[in-house]
Amino acid sequence: MALDTSIPVLVVDDYKTMIRIIRNLLKQLGFEDVDEASDGTEALGKMKERRYGLVISDWNMEPMTGYELLKQVRSDAGLSKTPFIMVTAESKTENVIAAKKAGVNNYIVKPFNAQTLKGKIEAVFGV
Amino acid sequence: MVGQLKAEHLAQVMDCIRRDRRGEEVSLEQVMRLAEVMAEVFQSAVRPVDEEICEELGGMAREIAAMKLELSDLRLGDVRQDRIPEAGRELDAIVEATEEATNTIMTAAEEIMAADASDPDAYQATVNDRIVEIFEACSFQDITGQRISKVVATLNHLDARISTLVERLKLMDLDGPESRETAEDRRRRELILHGPQMRGEGVSQDDVDALMR
Repeated sequence: MALDTSIPVLVVDDYKTMIRIIRNLLKQLGFEDVDEASDGTEALGKMKERRYGLVISDWNMEPMTGYELLKQVRSDAGLSKTPFIMVTAESKTENVIAAKKAGVNNYIVKPFNAQTLKGKIEAVFGV
Repeated sequence: MVGQLKAEHLAQVMDCIRRDRRGEEVSLEQVMRLAEVMAEVFQSAVRPVDEEICEELGGMAREIAAMKLELSDLRLGDVRQDRIPEAGRELDAIVEATEEATNTIMTAAEEIMAADASDPDAYQATVNDRIVEIFEACSFQDITGQRISKVVATLNHLDARISTLVERLKLMDLDGPESRETAEDRRRRELILHGPQMRGEGVSQDDVDALMR
């Protein structure tokens, strides 16, 4: 099964350069429909306006972190099925376990490469 | 002993308090000056009664005077007014330089990605020009390396000053109250915010993958 690159993707990060990096990597993978948000609050607002096929979020942001965003998404009946990948510098075991418990689909530790991003997206969609 | 205190002794102490007491805040220097004056006042009051205690009070007054001198040698004002703000400016400059270099490199890479390969000569020229820009942008590392060395020197200087201060004021002997958790500390604990780990401290991507299975 091929990866469906036509799905809209939401990238959430408070660091503009990281959004730009992920956006370019996604473009290389064929994803053209990419939106961005600078924290969980903005992301949640955008998710309530548009149905995204994938959310790629940082953890450490203010005022709403990626972890809080994940929990909000999973507790909202309309959003709970949205595939969610955490891309973060938070690399303690407790972070990974907490994210898994909260329902994250995959977890990428920064710094990462294009191959890792591609592999994790494919794994989420069972490709 | 108190009975031996004369009005002139008390006047000395009162004078010291009146001279130094301005507003609500009391400086360490004022406290030390008051302690020094009180030690001297008690010394002269006690002298006719107990020579040994008188000597001890004299020793305390000399110790306070020596401590004051040593504290002034530390030039803490210089650290606060010059070195720390300068280190802050260096760090700001590092952030600015790395951001500028990253943007230049990413713009060049994006232009290579978007370049039209149907005209091989034009494509080659675009790629070459952008690669030169990327090399040029990487020179930021030399400058930021030097700036970081200056910040590290400031931290070492600060570390040495604080260690000396702790030693001279014998602060190691004091058991302070346990530090209270601030709102920011609580947020970091509840939201599991540790920030980036040093090499070898956090889990690797392979470890993460194993945990996610």
